[in-house]
Amino acid sequence: MVISPVHYIVAPLLAAFAIPLLSKIYKDAARVVPGIVLFYNVIISFVLMKQVLKQGMINEVIAGWQPPWGINLVLTPFTGFLAAMISVMGFIIWLYGFRFKRTLKGGVVKYYEILQMMMIAGSIGVIITGDLFNMFVFIEIVGITAYSLTAFYRDRNGAEAGFKYLLLGSLASTFLLLAILLIYTQTGTLNMAQIAERMPEVSSGIKITALVFFLIALGIEAEMFPLNGWAPDAYEQAPSPTSATFAAVVSIAGVYALVRILFTLFDVAGVHQYLIVMGFVTMLVAEIAAVSQKNLKRMLAYSSIGQVGLVLIAFGVGSPLAVFGALFLMLNHAVIKSLLFMTGSYFIYNSGEKRLEGLNGMHKRLPYVSALFSLAAFAIIGFPPFSGFWSKFYILIAASDQKMIFLIIGILLVTIIELVYYLRSVGRIYFAKEEMQDIAHKPSVNALIAMSFLALFIIIIGIYPDIITGYINQAAAALLDKTHYVQQILGSK
Amino acid sequence: MNEFNELFIKYKDLITLAVYGTAIMLIIIGLYAVLLKKHLVKIVIGLSIIDAGVHLLFVAVGYIQTGTAPIFSPGYENAADKMVDPVPQALVLTAIVIGFAVTALALSLVIRLYKHHHTANIEQIKSLKW
Amino acid sequence: MNPIISILLILFAGSVLAFGIDSINRKWTGWIAFISMLLAALNLFYLAQTSDLVFSLGGVSLKWGFSSLRLYFVYIILILSLLSFLYSIDYMKGKARLGYFYGAFLLTVLGMFGVVISKDFVSFFIFWEIMTWSSFLLIIYNAYYKVKTQGLKYMIFSAIGAYAMLTAIVFIYHYYGTFDIAVAIKGGVFSFENHIFIPLFFALGFAIKAAIMPFHIWAPSAYADSPMSFTAVFSGAMSKMGVFGLLLVLATYYALHNPDAYVFSQILAWLGGITAAMATIYALIQTDAKRLLAYSSISQLGYIVVALSTGTKLGVMAALYLAVLHAVFKGALFMVAGAVEKQAGTTDMTKISGLIRKMPWTFFVALVSVIALTGIPPVGGFVGKWLLYEALITESNNYFLVIVIFFSSTAAFLYAYRFLFGLFLGQEEKETENVKEAPIKMLIPMLILAIVAIVTGIMPGLIFKPAAVAMQEIGFENVNWQMTALSNVWGNQTDLSIIGMFIAAVFVLIFTFLTFKGKKNTRFVGTKDISSSGELWQEGENWTFQQDFYKPFERAAAPLYKYKMNKIWEDLGNALEAFFNFFRRIYTGNGQTYALYVIGFLALLLLFKDYIFK
Repeated sequence: MVISPVHYIVAPLLAAFAIPLLSKIYKDAARVVPGIVLFYNVIISFVLMKQVLKQGMINEVIAGWQPPWGINLVLTPFTGFLAAMISVMGFIIWLYGFRFKRTLKGGVVKYYEILQMMMIAGSIGVIITGDLFNMFVFIEIVGITAYSLTAFYRDRNGAEAGFKYLLLGSLASTFLLLAILLIYTQTGTLNMAQIAERMPEVSSGIKITALVFFLIALGIEAEMFPLNGWAPDAYEQAPSPTSATFAAVVSIAGVYALVRILFTLFDVAGVHQYLIVMGFVTMLVAEIAAVSQKNLKRMLAYSSIGQVGLVLIAFGVGSPLAVFGALFLMLNHAVIKSLLFMTGSYFIYNSGEKRLEGLNGMHKRLPYVSALFSLAAFAIIGFPPFSGFWSKFYILIAASDQKMIFLIIGILLVTIIELVYYLRSVGRIYFAKEEMQDIAHKPSVNALIAMSFLALFIIIIGIYPDIITGYINQAAAALLDKTHYVQQILGSK
Repeated sequence: MNEFNELFIKYKDLITLAVYGTAIMLIIIGLYAVLLKKHLVKIVIGLSIIDAGVHLLFVAVGYIQTGTAPIFSPGYENAADKMVDPVPQALVLTAIVIGFAVTALALSLVIRLYKHHHTANIEQIKSLKW
Repeated sequence: MNPIISILLILFAGSVLAFGIDSINRKWTGWIAFISMLLAALNLFYLAQTSDLVFSLGGVSLKWGFSSLRLYFVYIILILSLLSFLYSIDYMKGKARLGYFYGAFLLTVLGMFGVVISKDFVSFFIFWEIMTWSSFLLIIYNAYYKVKTQGLKYMIFSAIGAYAMLTAIVFIYHYYGTFDIAVAIKGGVFSFENHIFIPLFFALGFAIKAAIMPFHIWAPSAYADSPMSFTAVFSGAMSKMGVFGLLLVLATYYALHNPDAYVFSQILAWLGGITAAMATIYALIQTDAKRLLAYSSISQLGYIVVALSTGTKLGVMAALYLAVLHAVFKGALFMVAGAVEKQAGTTDMTKISGLIRKMPWTFFVALVSVIALTGIPPVGGFVGKWLLYEALITESNNYFLVIVIFFSSTAAFLYAYRFLFGLFLGQEEKETENVKEAPIKMLIPMLILAIVAIVTGIMPGLIFKPAAVAMQEIGFENVNWQMTALSNVWGNQTDLSIIGMFIAAVFVLIFTFLTFKGKKNTRFVGTKDISSSGELWQEGENWTFQQDFYKPFERAAAPLYKYKMNKIWEDLGNALEAFFNFFRRIYTGNGQTYALYVIGFLALLLLFKDYIFK
């Protein structure tokens, strides 16, 4: 069976329009249909991934216009891997949130489900598109859905976080447009492969200016310090499944866009050093800010930013092993951080307390969820034998190959900061005196399945990483092999 | 019509300068509003102005002096090299739509913020910090 | 099946099972844990003829296996853990979160076992971390407030040590292209000439685990506040992981005797010596038996490190011997403290005294262990101390260090006496009237340890034999030893069994004397029973002998107590946290500020773009 990558985008878009109609016929359509669509995405992502690994890159041309004139969707092992990852995470988060707010009246759930699905579809679009402007459009789709979801709870803080996100997001889109404009005037094309081909002819002054605009615009999306003021607020105020989606999907798409443009489009020296330095600063500042947070989700948000910083560092180191480590870390981050948000959400739900005090003595009420939270906390710190260890380990080995001893020491010191606040919260769960005792809201079955699946993944990958390393290896190779990418796309005209 | 074209050719540099200058001025004015005005609505207006500036810049880039619309209509069958670049125009159309959506969303958020905080001063809306 | 695999699997399955079964039937939890530990320990019989296990994981070639040195430590770990699990069944009875406790405990044992059997650095690090975090879970078992202070302190220090090692490990891979420990050592990883930070970072990691000053501050509370059955293993076996690691690091130095490493070993020796002395001084002023033992434990590890760093046959033998002995008597002493805690409700020596009549067997164990600790014949501790002194006097020129060791070893008498007297001797208190002897399941492991201590005193060859084989592995050939005798470089020889028999005879005499004397009708008087002297006991007055036990000494050493390492580290931590708290204010909460950051950063990049990007 041949499936086109277009389905990734078309299916959610169609469903998004169909849901309001369908929910007239079937009341729960808004909840069920996204699941079907996302599951369909999971299936096609596996089919396509298999195909890509067997036959090489898929270059899907839309509406018969060959690149560089038409828009094309590109599925390499790299983009295929990320798309598969996002699809799976999207589906799991849907499963987790299946009964989310089912008690709310007035069809609010409908908006949530539609926006959530659009956000995931947009993120996949960012990843598989081969056209620069198309990428911009998808980033905007992700952005607008994300702003709305951030303000989903119609309270004062939700609106505030949403507005901040929107403010910075608009600035990002402005700079992205400017950068695209600069590139377009110089190369006369928007196709990324062709831009990459023509880039060496562009005068370096304009090239670097465009690069700076890209770095700012995508730095905002990728939560790079000091452009990430929106991130903690948005993570904190969004509904928990959405926070998980931010961590597992949106930030991944942001990092992808940044890396794709830096690695494929530009051939500028100094980018790697820039990524290392800014990645480290991002990580350091985020973890410092996380240590004395009073609010659980805000703490997790800062930790997310820190992880993204580490991903950027790894991409900055730039050797195949480092990119391998970075992709592994992206995968781990998506899995572990969404598990943290999912379990954390149940703590908040149970204690009615967003502050860390809400965790106190939670293991009595939610023993299983507490164990999962601790597992995820250990995994994200990087304790073996959980999956988080391996990604950090590969990144460190890659850094040692470049003799970056201070970088290694820096990363590990920051890890110690990270360890402090995660272990404090684990300690709270198990040993603090709980303040009040009311009826426990036990997690629903679907949420339990979703969380257990993620936990299982953490443990299995931690004990036997070879299951996944083969795919990641090919993905890393595909990202680094720029000439192959250009030739495949332009050669197929 | 011809006179108009002649005028255009005569002051070509000036007009180019004016268009680009306007675009950049718009961006700077917008940035000024976004960074220094305290009122939420003014900030949103600033964002729209920046957008407008960028869109103008796009159109200006694709423009060719005395060019024609990029349509093969009767009388213009062989005018391919005189046509203005259609791509930036298409991009601008898309960008305008997106900008519209973002502005609408922003204004709705402003309304909600005003409802909750009873102020539209961005400096007083910072319950989420640190 | 390969015993390595089966031990690891049994321990892991036991951990999961114990954790799971706790919610079904709390009575079984301890037994399940003990049985899985027993099954794991039974594998010891098959260990000797095991071949190495080589496999690849995540692109890294891992190698597990035994060698004589590793076996030596495996025995310490598994046997002590087995006894401690038996002890735990009754000790933990009635406490909350049993599944959590046993699950984490079994994982800790798994981690320790794994550390020792790893023949490559990656699995070494993996097991090291498993050991660390699972023991962290146990340290915070008792109360939440400890998470914030003590538990975290332990974890932070352990993490510093572990990450220092990790840094060294990835660089070993960079420079030598291998993770194999034996190959790397042969290649000269630890030789100080090539990359000095590698051995230093490793030594840092091990020194932290062995609680060497100035990295010891996690230890007193961690030892004292954990459940005692775990502390017995924690102090007895897990701190030996540091010793094991130091042995590996120093092996190159033993083989080569290069001058750079000499400086290093001197520093290490001095750190060990200072640790021994200071910890002894601190142990003196503790009024809580558990804390006293904790400090004593730190000081004992100081001896071992001193012995290790001499780098001579005798010194290393002393270290290996003391490692076993320390595991034996310190394990026993912590179990004694646990038994007292369980039966009398507290280990505060100012509250209880005179337990000898209530808990005679516990007292016997405590007595033997204390004798071992202070190094008096005929118990095994004497042999260890003897070896240590001989090594220091004859083979190192560091007489000042000898003085320090002598001093701390003498001062150890003081705290050992305080421990013994405080808990078991003296007048009986009303509060302890209903105290009974510890349950049999707690006594058996304690008695076994005490018997081991006695037997090794009379026949030290039992330990010399495996130790000598183990020493071959790190480059000491032809280690001489005798089963029941000690000899020195001057050719004197002492037969220990005679001394042993003599002293045993004295003991029997005293015991008989006491038994007959006990027959007489004696009235035992408590401290508060002072009406005969015309005074009345006031509420809140403490009349036990433990009150100001070593007052003159405390006064004399007062200046020393002022400078606490603990305070320095705590100030550092608080300052850092305050700084972090201040620093995070850059997230002002004002959306406009964030926009300003963006534009400002853009302007910066545009200004310096030609410098940053080329």
